[in-house]
Amino acid sequence: MSNRAIGAPASGLETEVMPVRGRVVKSKWTRDLLTFLMVVGPGLIVMVADNDAGAVSTYSQAGAQYGTHLLWVVLLLLPITYFIQEMVVRLGIATGKGHAAMIYQRFGKWWGLFSLVDLELVNFLTLVTEFAAIDLALNKMGVDPRFGVPLAAAALILIAVTGSYRRWERTVVLLCLLDLVWFALAYGLRPPMGQIVSGSLAPSMPAGGLTPELMFLVIAIVGTTIAPWQLFFQQSCIADKRLRFSDVKWARLDTFLGACVTITAAGCMMIAGNASSMHGFAFTDPAQMAVDIGSFTNGFFKNAILLLMINAAVLGTTAISLSSAWAYGEVRGWPHSLQLPVRKAPGFYVVYAVCVAAAAGLVLIPRAPLQLIILGVQVLAGVMLPSAIIFLQLLLNDKELLGEYSNKPWNNWVNWTIIIVLFALSLILAAQVAAPNLFPA
Amino acid sequence: MATMLNPMETNELTNHFVVIHPLDDLPEEKVDTESLGPMAMTTSVRISLVSLRAYLILMMLLVFYHVMNMAGLFGHRG
Repeated sequence: MSNRAIGAPASGLETEVMPVRGRVVKSKWTRDLLTFLMVVGPGLIVMVADNDAGAVSTYSQAGAQYGTHLLWVVLLLLPITYFIQEMVVRLGIATGKGHAAMIYQRFGKWWGLFSLVDLELVNFLTLVTEFAAIDLALNKMGVDPRFGVPLAAAALILIAVTGSYRRWERTVVLLCLLDLVWFALAYGLRPPMGQIVSGSLAPSMPAGGLTPELMFLVIAIVGTTIAPWQLFFQQSCIADKRLRFSDVKWARLDTFLGACVTITAAGCMMIAGNASSMHGFAFTDPAQMAVDIGSFTNGFFKNAILLLMINAAVLGTTAISLSSAWAYGEVRGWPHSLQLPVRKAPGFYVVYAVCVAAAAGLVLIPRAPLQLIILGVQVLAGVMLPSAIIFLQLLLNDKELLGEYSNKPWNNWVNWTIIIVLFALSLILAAQVAAPNLFPA
Repeated sequence: MATMLNPMETNELTNHFVVIHPLDDLPEEKVDTESLGPMAMTTSVRISLVSLRAYLILMMLLVFYHVMNMAGLFGHRG
């Protein structure tokens, strides 16, 4: 928020401080609302994009297999995901630089390069899964993926190369708002309200007790809700949008709002999975779930879920590809801004376009090793997440860097608790996927 | 060290406010991270980071071996 007073029009000095493109408002309430609307974006996008294709699959599988029993896990993740991303907000606003640049500058080349290579690798593999989901959904809608996947890739490249951050942000925020359709779908499936309330507020063990399958699904839910690319994306996005110190509270609100939307949508996906299971369908993938739900409702539900699945993959793709392009540009020292035209930041846009095009192309190759790629995503993300958050925590305690914006003692208590839990969960997940015999079913 | 601008830089008497989009505003002075250099760390933090580095290298090798094994490079599929 950069609200400047304006006095009488004759006042030369005050006229001089008036911005060229500022909006004059008369009430504080309007000022606050308008300021929030100008700041909103990075937090909402990072959170809603986190409900990508993989997340749709994980949440709907959790609902299909365990009904409403795991809703409390998702609800518990709301403050956790907010606390982590809120740290990124402070870091991004104070430094005006991305996360990769910060790690490189404050922890040296080894950590800088390791974080970058790991991020680029995990991001690329995740992008492949996004396009695989688009391919799957298009197939169920009767659209030839050989036509639809390249079209989606081309659209994703076009929305980023306009040379206007605002144009990209407006398009993506609009796509984020489409996620609200999940609420209508969940309501239309006549969910068991009593079970939803008890499943959200009172943790209970599903029938069958604590099995390895349940444990890994819980870990997958945590892993899909808090992903390493989010840290890099939001900080770079804030830097690109040039948010100011006075925007901190609005950026926090943006992040909190995004967390609420994404967690509620995640709950709705679980409710959809539960509805499918209640009608006797076994879960295989979210696209098949859409077809199953369509069989006992109507074609609207089927097509809406399939389109939302594509929307989730598109949002995930643009955010993840941008986090890769921003991070690479920051470390290489290239111009890296959506505000720049392609000719002024060619490297940045090439990285973005190559990420999108290569992932889309890989999906179209017959018999591509998709299962191996999904496995790679899970393990590498599991390995990377705790270390990424540890760096975030160290940076947020760097008083030399952040001054009054560094963590307070209570921040540290909360964050170290989150880090320890995430470290344990990611270690279990990585060990299980890399060495499955350690945890016999 | 970071400094904060007054977010309520408004004139209460005129009761008029100008709201500026961050991209239209004048560039704000940020923390000069390049002049700060590498972060000063205590011995315990340094040891923790070395341990983390060893853990990450070990995990990456484990993942690499597992993926190669699954791809059939060691003669059988995992």
